[in-house]
Amino acid sequence: MLRKSPAPAGLLLVGLLLYASVALAQGDPKRGEYLSKAGGCVGCHTEAREGAVPYAGGRSLKTPFGVFYGPNITPHPQAGIGRWSEQDFIRAMRFGVRPDGAHYYPAFPYSSFTRVVDQDLRDLWAYLHSIPQSSRPSQPHELRFPFGWRWLLWGWKFLFFGPGAFVPDPGRSAVLNRGAYLVQALGHCGECHTPRNWLGAMKQDRFLGGVKGKDGSPNLTPTRLKKKSDAEVKDFLLTAMTPDGDVAAESMGEVVRNTTSQLTAQDLDTLIAYLRSLPPLPEEPK
Amino acid sequence: MNKSVLAAGVAIAVGAFAGSAVAQMKPEVLVKQRQSAMTLIGKYFGPLGGMAQGKVPYNAQVVQRNAGFLDNLTRMPWDGFDPSTKGAKSRALPAVFNDNAKFKDAAARLENEAAKLYQVSRGGDEAAVKAQIGAVGKACGGCHDNFREKQ
Repeated sequence: MLRKSPAPAGLLLVGLLLYASVALAQGDPKRGEYLSKAGGCVGCHTEAREGAVPYAGGRSLKTPFGVFYGPNITPHPQAGIGRWSEQDFIRAMRFGVRPDGAHYYPAFPYSSFTRVVDQDLRDLWAYLHSIPQSSRPSQPHELRFPFGWRWLLWGWKFLFFGPGAFVPDPGRSAVLNRGAYLVQALGHCGECHTPRNWLGAMKQDRFLGGVKGKDGSPNLTPTRLKKKSDAEVKDFLLTAMTPDGDVAAESMGEVVRNTTSQLTAQDLDTLIAYLRSLPPLPEEPK
Repeated sequence: MNKSVLAAGVAIAVGAFAGSAVAQMKPEVLVKQRQSAMTLIGKYFGPLGGMAQGKVPYNAQVVQRNAGFLDNLTRMPWDGFDPSTKGAKSRALPAVFNDNAKFKDAAARLENEAAKLYQVSRGGDEAAVKAQIGAVGKACGGCHDNFREKQ
């Protein structure tokens, strides 16, 4: 009798451990919803018109290589990503690879999203799996020759893509690490605010240094930001307006509506603190 | 030969005369004037933006007054974007002149949204007013996206 008792206790323990690991592995859709806002996913994955279905795809992104269309990422089994496994999603975000193994174009900003940590990816996945399905078919990209050849991306990735989740710098405060994570990983701010080379890869030594010209975006390093107080920057990220009533370009206006105005006050503070800690980069020549 | 040179000369002279109403103005002056209109648009739109986003308490009287100002102000900057100002120092991108039809569309969109705001502001529907303030903001930002250097 005595010898029998450890068995149920052991089973119970194993059961508890299993339960715990399942609970850990299962993403939290509520948390995922917040992370999706922090990632601004809805921007590229929703048509630019009144009443468009969120996450059903359709936004066009004009680039020197052609026009990309954000695909449907609702859980619809045919039109969306309903047949994906969680692992498929994590692989897409971390490595820029489709479930069938083909490479994504870096218009899908996996150069940034690769830094999103595992638990956040699981939560995002849980959220994306909980949203309403849409049968809106994804549109094929319209790319200039020879960029339609996806296999070329193997070379691009070899040259320019370094996969790996964000690792906090133990030498920096928790605040700065959180801000760095929001800016570099989910926020993918660098995708617009960092100049690119002729093959469309971000110039890492000019990270957040701003881009000049028509599709440009401002320098986010202290070179420019030091002229503005924390309150001004925070206000801008909540309203897309400066104190004198100047309205930001709509490309940023949308980011403010979808992302920065949705962040907790605490996260917004860390984001600003991180930008202030960046090395000041001179303005890009015109 | 001589005739055609003369004809060309006359055509140029007539063309210059026809455009003289604006062409007399120095490009820098035109830029300053259009920027002044923009500055005032900012002055009267800023508080409305704050109200729409809940940052400033809603005040129907201020909204109505400012919407009236904006209805007029939003029609003022555009003749300042004369081709003669193409080389003048400003944040206006070359697209203003190279893609002028699209620029005019964007300008007309702001005029329309501002006129609509004035109409709505005279009714008592606070939610509708706030939504329309948002539409005006999007019209501002939509044009800034393509036609103004970001800094």
